[in-house]
Amino acid sequence: MSALPEYIEESVAAKALIQLEEVTKTYDAGENAVQALRGVDVAIQEGEFVAIIGPSGSGKSTLMHIVGCLDSPTTGKYWLDGQDVAELTARQLARIRNQKIGFVFQTFNLLPRATVLKNVELPLLYAGLSRGERRERAMSALERVGLGDRSKHRPNELSGGQRQRVAIARALVNNPSLVLADEPTGNLDQKTGSEIIDIFEALAGQETIVLVTHDPTIASRTGRRIKMVDGRIVNGELE
Amino acid sequence: MILLESIIDGIRDIKDHLGRTLLQLVGIILGAGSIVATFSLSVAGKAASMEYYRVSGGIQKIWIWDKPTGKVTLDAKALASKGLTFRDAEAIKRDAKDIDLVSPVASETMTIRYREIEKPRNVMGVVPAYSPMNDVHAAQGRFITDGDVQTAAKVVVFGAERAAEFFSTDNPIGKTVTINGTGYQVVGVMQEKYFSFDHKRNVLRWMNRQIYIPITTHFTRKGQSLDRGKVSFMNARMIDIKNHEEAVDQIRKVLHREHGVKDYEVLSRVANLKRNESQNRMYDMTFMICGIISLIVGGIVVMNIQLASFNERVREVGTRKAVGASPAQIFGQFLAESILVSVFGGFIGLFVGKLFTDGIAALTRDPAAITPDTIVKALIFAAGTGLIFGMYPAIRASRLSPIEALRTE
Repeated sequence: MSALPEYIEESVAAKALIQLEEVTKTYDAGENAVQALRGVDVAIQEGEFVAIIGPSGSGKSTLMHIVGCLDSPTTGKYWLDGQDVAELTARQLARIRNQKIGFVFQTFNLLPRATVLKNVELPLLYAGLSRGERRERAMSALERVGLGDRSKHRPNELSGGQRQRVAIARALVNNPSLVLADEPTGNLDQKTGSEIIDIFEALAGQETIVLVTHDPTIASRTGRRIKMVDGRIVNGELE
Repeated sequence: MILLESIIDGIRDIKDHLGRTLLQLVGIILGAGSIVATFSLSVAGKAASMEYYRVSGGIQKIWIWDKPTGKVTLDAKALASKGLTFRDAEAIKRDAKDIDLVSPVASETMTIRYREIEKPRNVMGVVPAYSPMNDVHAAQGRFITDGDVQTAAKVVVFGAERAAEFFSTDNPIGKTVTINGTGYQVVGVMQEKYFSFDHKRNVLRWMNRQIYIPITTHFTRKGQSLDRGKVSFMNARMIDIKNHEEAVDQIRKVLHREHGVKDYEVLSRVANLKRNESQNRMYDMTFMICGIISLIVGGIVVMNIQLASFNERVREVGTRKAVGASPAQIFGQFLAESILVSVFGGFIGLFVGKLFTDGIAALTRDPAAITPDTIVKALIFAAGTGLIFGMYPAIRASRLSPIEALRTE
């Protein structure tokens, strides 16, 4: 089952930022094998603001990890910006994560011992930028999320919403082509969560954003919703 | 860039957990300490004994003594042997081709008198070769000459301490002293010799307490003919230490030909040095092995702690990978950390090694010196330990799949 009508797929295949074909993912091969993805076809264009929704266990996080080059498909093809990801080495994948992708996690995943500034600088460190350049770009990313005055704090001195904003600054700092957010509001109260989505909304248009959520209110604020059930996409187009 | 960050991270880590880090490093500290102590004592010990040999005539020196034979049945020639004689010295000089200098000494206690001071003192009958042989030279006047020996002249040369003892502030040169009732003219005073291993005791003091007369004069006073003159001991000098075994062999052959029985002992300093060296090497090895075992144990502890901290930091590794750290960068970061921690341990080990060294030096009164070379060696050993034992945790961290790392609670 194709996620897109054939005529659309044909016409967009060349320009889609993300293109998945017949992607499956099986964990723990053997008797306890879990099929997280059972053949996913999806194309996401540059500049889209997409929500992946679905019940827990439907495979949306797995899909997100594959799209983010954190994990690789068991079978099927994945092109990111025209590049077949299956052909890449661990080192090249690391470089893609560094240059093209910005991740925002449900649990923030900030380094607890590093300052806010150091956390935001981290992708630039691995990109090999100089100290001065790292500082400058990290500061401007922090200002974009409204945390310019917290650069010297440690993550445990910040509220949940602030921590998630630091994580967003970190995701944006290297000017990625793609921002991926995995349940970014999952650990936040409704009001704070809504503020985080405000930030994503403001970014929409300038960045390609894919976020995983099970909250229909949040999903309704995005430009396109991809619904997953049991490892498959049930409707790839706008409802 | 990343290396620098890793080092800064590592230093912060050491600072944050100083107690834990020190405990973790006990093995490496002790290991580096033992290595410092081993090298310091061994290097300084060797330098000191070489210096001692140098100031007392060099390692080319050979000692020859009488050694009573234990044999009961002796042939006529053997029975006739009176031990070392002046003739033996002449024979060695003539026949042993790897020997360039022979210095026979006939030594005896005699009564020395100068004005009102009269004391029994040891007097050595010597030849001019004694001076270069022992690297002791006249500070005032001259030493015994060939002319003195040929004419059995009644001249005497005083060691520095003896000169002070008998003449106090007088100038001894030209004065007449009485030795066993006969008058001798003082023609020289020797330089003062000094060497100490512990900066306390002068091991060359015996040289300053000698009184020298021509060996022929000594024989004449005792009524001995020249070639039968009894010699207390002899020194010989080999030309080249490479042929030290041949030189000793040649002396043994000459003496055996002259005596017909083995009533002498020949010992070369080279052989002595080699024996000491192999003994010292054993001590060095023992200490060194202790050091290396400490380092290995220390390395295993470092590895364990790195693995433990790696488990604590799986999520951190996952995060770093998610934002683009390559396997090589993670590997480098972990390895840099364990090397840094180990070098830190090695650095503390230098101070512990200094304590060891000072302690041992104080107990044994042996010389010790910590050289820059030793410091570099100890730090390299420590860094090497960090490198070897940091490898496994670093490989594990670098191979971690980012998604599994992020899933870890």
